[in-house]
Amino acid sequence: MSDELRLSALLAHPSNGGLRVVAGPTDASWADVVIETTEAELPGRGERRIAILTAPPPSTPWQQDALVRRTRDRGFLALAVPGADGFGSGTRSLAARLGLSLLHVDKPMQLAKACWHLLEARDALTLGYVRKVAQSIEYHADGLPDLLRHLSSSVGHGIALVDSEGVLLEAGGHLESAVHAAIDFAPWVDLARADTGTAASVRVDSPSREGLRIAFFGDGLSDPQLSALAVAAEVAMPAVAARILIDEVAEVSDASVSSAVLRDFMDLRGAPDTDVERRMLERGWRTAGYHLAFRVIGRARLDTFQLLRFVTRELGAIPADSHATTSGRGVTGWLTFAEPPPAQQVEAHITALRSLHVAARRDFNVATGVGSLESGSAGLTESLSEAADAARIAVDRSATGWFVRVDGLGLEQLLLAWTGNDTFVPAARSLLAPLQEGGDELFETLSAYLDHESGIAATAAALGLHRNTVSTRVQRAQQLLGVDMADPEARLALHLACRAVRESG
Amino acid sequence: MATVLEHTQLPALARGFSLLGSGGGGSTTMLELALAGDEHWPLTLHELDDLDPALPCLGAAFVGSTMLLGERLPGEAPFARLIAAAERWLGHPVPVVCSLEGGGLNGLTPFTLAADRLVVDADLTGRAVPGLDQMSLLVDRVPGVVAACDTGAGGVMLAETGRPIDLERVIRAATIQAGGVGGTVFAGFTVGDLVEHSVHGGTLRALELGTAFLHAASAPLGELATALGGRLLGHGRISAVEPDARDPHVNAIGIDGEGGRVHRIITRSETLAFMTDGRVEASAPTIIVALDTVSRDILEVTDLTLARNVAVLELPAPAWWTQRPERLRHVVPSAYGLADLDGAA
Repeated sequence: MSDELRLSALLAHPSNGGLRVVAGPTDASWADVVIETTEAELPGRGERRIAILTAPPPSTPWQQDALVRRTRDRGFLALAVPGADGFGSGTRSLAARLGLSLLHVDKPMQLAKACWHLLEARDALTLGYVRKVAQSIEYHADGLPDLLRHLSSSVGHGIALVDSEGVLLEAGGHLESAVHAAIDFAPWVDLARADTGTAASVRVDSPSREGLRIAFFGDGLSDPQLSALAVAAEVAMPAVAARILIDEVAEVSDASVSSAVLRDFMDLRGAPDTDVERRMLERGWRTAGYHLAFRVIGRARLDTFQLLRFVTRELGAIPADSHATTSGRGVTGWLTFAEPPPAQQVEAHITALRSLHVAARRDFNVATGVGSLESGSAGLTESLSEAADAARIAVDRSATGWFVRVDGLGLEQLLLAWTGNDTFVPAARSLLAPLQEGGDELFETLSAYLDHESGIAATAAALGLHRNTVSTRVQRAQQLLGVDMADPEARLALHLACRAVRESG
Repeated sequence: MATVLEHTQLPALARGFSLLGSGGGGSTTMLELALAGDEHWPLTLHELDDLDPALPCLGAAFVGSTMLLGERLPGEAPFARLIAAAERWLGHPVPVVCSLEGGGLNGLTPFTLAADRLVVDADLTGRAVPGLDQMSLLVDRVPGVVAACDTGAGGVMLAETGRPIDLERVIRAATIQAGGVGGTVFAGFTVGDLVEHSVHGGTLRALELGTAFLHAASAPLGELATALGGRLLGHGRISAVEPDARDPHVNAIGIDGEGGRVHRIITRSETLAFMTDGRVEASAPTIIVALDTVSRDILEVTDLTLARNVAVLELPAPAWWTQRPERLRHVVPSAYGLADLDGAA
């Protein structure tokens, strides 16, 4: 056998019988292995091999010294024996002094089998790993992280899902960045080796995500182990790819379900409905308590699902009970508190939402609105619709970084927000169209007159006109529009129309 | 030829017996003080050849915890009643005294009886040993030996048996009854018996060793060992004292030696073996002596404590033990149930 048996490879072997280094060289490698019951049965010529003894060693320090000495004198480079971790400091320093790796092993026969795997039965090693991968696929996994945990604990090495930027998910250990850097993302299978560890990785063929690899990693793995692990990764890959897809589909369908529940809830406008209540509770949404709603909408077309994924992840950093779902062309969410939170805390949460918004803007062209703190089921509806209004305003508010909170708005702004939509502005235009006949001055005067509580004198003062001029123009406008200005509803509609048209410019 | 010992030779004699104690046998201080008066000196030490082989002989020793002797001093004539009992049992006076144990404090014990008896330079061990059944007369199964010992409160017990281990056990039990330490006298043998069945010249050897030791005590360790006719086994700092799981009297003492060597001293009531790097370098009956490297005090096994710097010397075993395998097996480490330490004598 040209390859040597390395201590690091044995230590990295998942079933090495509980091997631990007690004393002596830790970077050792050996030509072969000898397994006997006691030291007396070992061959006279150790020939740079490791000796594994199955019987417990003698109990007195001097006999342990003698065991170490005689094993080394026979030419062995390592001694693995059950109970070696009980050897005293003298025996340990003797082993180090003699250059004998003194190893503790709980199950010597298992260690012997691991040696056999590494030295002679690489196919058996590979098969062992493949079988373990198959076993882990057999068990139900809740998601990709769960599947990776199953794979890692079953195979006995760490596993990581990586892309060229870094580690996305890992289980059973930590993939050192140096090892990650050593991974070549081009080939189908790659065996990477760095000072701090080794990894065997394989490309993940996923239609939705490019450039992913799964990697089994560990410290000190020998080439046969890495090759075997590469095969294990190849076998595990389809399961991982499928799991990525399944998780995405599940996420999308989950988002659409919660989106529907939210829509139904909003449609109730605060009226109690046991069915909706139940569906909300199933999602963990409580209407009791205090709510602070927010809405993130796209200023252009965007993938609301990707946005939801981002928002959900970012919400995790906010220390409050939070929920979010897709709704329309954006994402709606809210924070819930069991007790009324102090003003400072509310401010802190709004600041956090603002940071979320800023972070989201790096990847998405979005505007965010935040409602006010309200309580109960009706309060949630209110806060949610406030947030929606604020978001609508925020779309045009570059000055505030496309972030608006309702508490910072006048009622007027709100009113305008309602009327400033695509259906009202054209209606207002057509309503006021007859005034065009008299040029802009009729419109200006009517607007000012309505703004000044239908006061002729105040309007005249504001516009710098004579009272009679104002009076004439108002009457003229009234005639052209055919509106009874004494009717409060008609006057309100007219007032709003003027505002909407003026704002839309 | 008889030797006359002067008072000034007492310290050398005492150091010599301490060395022959092999880490055990008790401190000689108490007997040095007992023999401090000028009335004891000079002493005449007879060789076996000088005396009529038919003369009855006795041996005397303190048995039990030698440490207790320092706390509860023995009376003025601790052996008088024991000797009287033995003489009464035998029906004749015993004019000659030898040493029971030729190492530690008992090497000096016969001199406390020198006023009334002839002291012969012979002893039953040639070094310190823990058991009465290891006395040479019993090892060789010399018939007719009787033993008398203290039982406490002035009581005396006399035992005669053909089975040596019984003597060890009943005298040990009686000594415990007497308070942990007491006198023991062996009698019922003659000067002639000692010719074959004892270690000869132990006192003169002790004197020689002690004189050499006092002379070379501050010399380099190797020189000191050579002066004593022995060998330096190793030196270093005690880094571990590990009691044995089965026998609480046994300790394995780890020493971080020179150049990273790993030494071990295995002790029971005496130093029984010495190992370097997993190899047995010396074992009982070879005499293994630990010295404090700095003060050059001769250490008893109880003095081997953590962090102490010690040097360990080997002195040749009394030849009597190695002459025959059936003698040897009474004093090698396996006699105390310690495996894998025999054979480096």
